[in-house]
Amino acid sequence: MVRLNAKGIADVLAMAFMFILLILGAVLMHAYSLRPLRAATDRQLQLKCEHVYKTLETAWVEPYTVSFLRAGAENLVLERPTVPGSYLRSAMENTLEYLSPPNYEISMTLCYDKTLLTFNENRSPPSKRFVRSGTVSITKAGGENVIIQVEVMLFSFS
Amino acid sequence: MTLTQILKTLVTCILVITFVLVTASAYRQHRSISSLAKLSDATSTIVTHLAVDELAYDETDDGKHSYVLDPNKLENLVYTIEFGGDNFEFQVMVHYKLGDDERELGPFGSALPNDNTTNCSLTAACALWSNDRFLPAKLKVTAWYA
Repeated sequence: MVRLNAKGIADVLAMAFMFILLILGAVLMHAYSLRPLRAATDRQLQLKCEHVYKTLETAWVEPYTVSFLRAGAENLVLERPTVPGSYLRSAMENTLEYLSPPNYEISMTLCYDKTLLTFNENRSPPSKRFVRSGTVSITKAGGENVIIQVEVMLFSFS
Repeated sequence: MTLTQILKTLVTCILVITFVLVTASAYRQHRSISSLAKLSDATSTIVTHLAVDELAYDETDDGKHSYVLDPNKLENLVYTIEFGGDNFEFQVMVHYKLGDDERELGPFGSALPNDNTTNCSLTAACALWSNDRFLPAKLKVTAWYA
């Protein structure tokens, strides 16, 4: 070190080290600066998930006059639902595919008393998952009021 | 002045110039990213505003149906909005499904700028009130800085 110092090389090495640190700092700074944009994209996806839930809550299963969510809930708890199960599955999966953003998947699960009814079940592990939960109330034939848990999930794969 | 001193001065100058350039570049990128994030949030705000208020189907007895679009309201919309101190213009399109057919309404609103203005597009699911039926639909909003 004494010999290097005598030749003035130690200062050059220190500056070269600072230079490398500066480059590393710049790379990190640029990488982290994208975080607000990723957060904004996530907020948009959560909004899309909310919209899908509300759409399924209001849009009707053609040609019936009952919403997708209610039709699903009826299929889970009623013996004679308004929309037959096989027709509902086809209509629901077509609608979920139509409403899904490109390169994303939407799945819906209804749950009552440990019985599950899933439409468009996702089989591959997603990189991100956006969830909107809610409930649907159905009155059974005997007048019993049951609450069905609903979960709409938006999956992203990257 | 020895060769070592010249080298040291040169490296110091390069270091200072690089620092200034990196700082300026980071500042420019930060501003650009903030502006894009704001545009994205403005687009989300417009979509929510349209779905729950401006385009919401109005039933006389029952009040407004949030997330149900009334196609008759599309032509009377004001296609500019102020958000966070900035003005934005936007264009609206509605895609909907009638049986197996996919149809669309629009575009309504301002024409997309021809120059390289950055725009943000957001498509969100909604229901559409059409012929006394609630149909599954998609509301597409494209917004840009006015």
